[in-house]
Amino acid sequence: MINKTITSIALSAVAIFALTGCGEKNAKVEAKTYKYTTVQVYEKSCIKCHGKYGEGNPDKKTPALNDRTAGEMAQDLYDVKNGGTGIGGGGTDHEIMEHNMQKLVDQGYDYDINSMAEFLSYLIKNK
Amino acid sequence: MIENRNVQKDLEQLDAILKEQGISRRDAMKMMGLGGAAFMVGSTEAQAATVAKASSAKGKILIIGGGLAGMSTAARLTNTLSNPDITVIEPETLSCSYQPGQTLVGAGLWKKGDIAYKRDDFVPSGVKIVKEKAVEFDPENNTVTTDKGTKISYDYLVVAAGLKLNYAAIKGLEEAGEAYSSGDNKKLVDVLNSVGASSIYTADSAEATWANMEKFIASAKSGKKVKGLFTHPNTPIKCGGAPKKIMYLANSRLEEAGARNNADLHFYPNGGGMFGVKEYHNAIVDQFKARNFKWSYKHNLIAIDGENKTATFNHHWTEKGAWDEDLEEYGVELKSEEITVPYDFIHITPPMKAPDEIGNSKIGSSKGWIPVKKETLQHVKFKNVFALGDIAAVPMGKTGGSARKQYKVVVDNLISMMESGKIPKTNKEYAGYTVCPLITSIGTVMLAEFNWTKKPTPMVPLDPTQERYIWWLLKFYLLKPMTIHGMLAGKA
Repeated sequence: MINKTITSIALSAVAIFALTGCGEKNAKVEAKTYKYTTVQVYEKSCIKCHGKYGEGNPDKKTPALNDRTAGEMAQDLYDVKNGGTGIGGGGTDHEIMEHNMQKLVDQGYDYDINSMAEFLSYLIKNK
Repeated sequence: MIENRNVQKDLEQLDAILKEQGISRRDAMKMMGLGGAAFMVGSTEAQAATVAKASSAKGKILIIGGGLAGMSTAARLTNTLSNPDITVIEPETLSCSYQPGQTLVGAGLWKKGDIAYKRDDFVPSGVKIVKEKAVEFDPENNTVTTDKGTKISYDYLVVAAGLKLNYAAIKGLEEAGEAYSSGDNKKLVDVLNSVGASSIYTADSAEATWANMEKFIASAKSGKKVKGLFTHPNTPIKCGGAPKKIMYLANSRLEEAGARNNADLHFYPNGGGMFGVKEYHNAIVDQFKARNFKWSYKHNLIAIDGENKTATFNHHWTEKGAWDEDLEEYGVELKSEEITVPYDFIHITPPMKAPDEIGNSKIGSSKGWIPVKKETLQHVKFKNVFALGDIAAVPMGKTGGSARKQYKVVVDNLISMMESGKIPKTNKEYAGYTVCPLITSIGTVMLAEFNWTKKPTPMVPLDPTQERYIWWLLKFYLLKPMTIHGMLAGKA
């Protein structure tokens, strides 16, 4: 039923991987280039709805971003950009922004999540 | 010293299978050049897989939680530090149980006893264990207080307290309250049984799931047309594949009984897709089609009516909204409705949350999960605090496979903090590696491996979207011994 060679190759790889942990070669997320810098993205786009200091806009029902730490912000940005933080079919906590973010990425307003989270944290602190 | 006949039994069964292929385990290991694979051949002289650098750094380390993540961290720190001062707080006697096996228990392929592992068998030599529950956190003064009033101070804190299964959030299951996977969950089983529901997310209710599934299959075999529902909630969950695995196994069991045609199997996930990685999503959709499964996206289970045997879902979707001049696009509006569906069998994946006493404390966050920089696992506010495993706010991080990568990163970074007060850029970063051995039938598994690049990252050069018998062997026979002998010893 199963091919002996494949079995031993795969088992071998599994065992080597398990033993040495060499399966993951200091895997870094691939370097990505963006059209605009993080600051430009915020000042050209995000600012319109989320405000100069991340205070939000009640008229547009856009939420404030100044109520969370950089770590929490990074989580939320990950959720928005990836349609959720889980693995399977959990979905996102930000259904509207997931749609908007996709449109904004299409318009060139893409950014690095950690960089944006840190910039926002800086903005809020230096208001 | 780890001695467990369950692990031994697994290895013996693996031997039998390898023998059918004409190779012994010892020969297989030799062929693979695995002379150092001592732990896999049952030797007690297990060699460290990645030899951690010895460190003479000093400091009082407190670990919250003695499950897979916490105990592996304790073991690796013990292996690495020449003068370790480590305390683990863990109230549950079965905290080291092998949770990934609960799916197999739920399908009657393993017994509950096959996955029960005692905390006290895995406490590394020299590590102090406090068998109480940590309930108060004062990170400004570096102290933690337990339910029995014991106040423990620390220099460094590692939070690996796991998550809680929030059954109470589903209307009709309020009495079930919140549960942990391991330990006594009799009350939960009683509540689930009272409404005819199943859930493999605790060991006890996984056992009850098999009893319910047997009844479901018998009913289908008797000629009755039956309906099985499988849910996936709107929170991050541990083992994102399990809600589907139990469906695939129910399908296999129905086929075995020759009763598949009488059963309707329907998957109701909260999200709009099967999997966060496109390649795996596509593969799963094809597998669902091939098995004649039905599915409805964007359905979140909100209520169970045990009397009428119906489940109510919040069905939500977006519709094109008004032109948004700031967005320079049309916006979307949220819509939702309630949908009620009858069931003969329902597998519930409950919403999950951080334990309130931690999530609402100063080290928690608005969503409860401990906020850490995801690459270093260091707390975003308190530099002497780390978090890993289910409780950490790390995308895609709630699997044993993730914890297996995370605990080494935590140990390296913690020791760097102890030695120099900072984490050097040269320390290896966590890259979001996760593995989901997606059981697609009794005898096949699709080994879905990936990281934050959201691309498949297979460890062997085989098409990762294929269902394979070899990965079934890995899941059924190898992963548990690897976890018990390797990870819990802080070695692999």
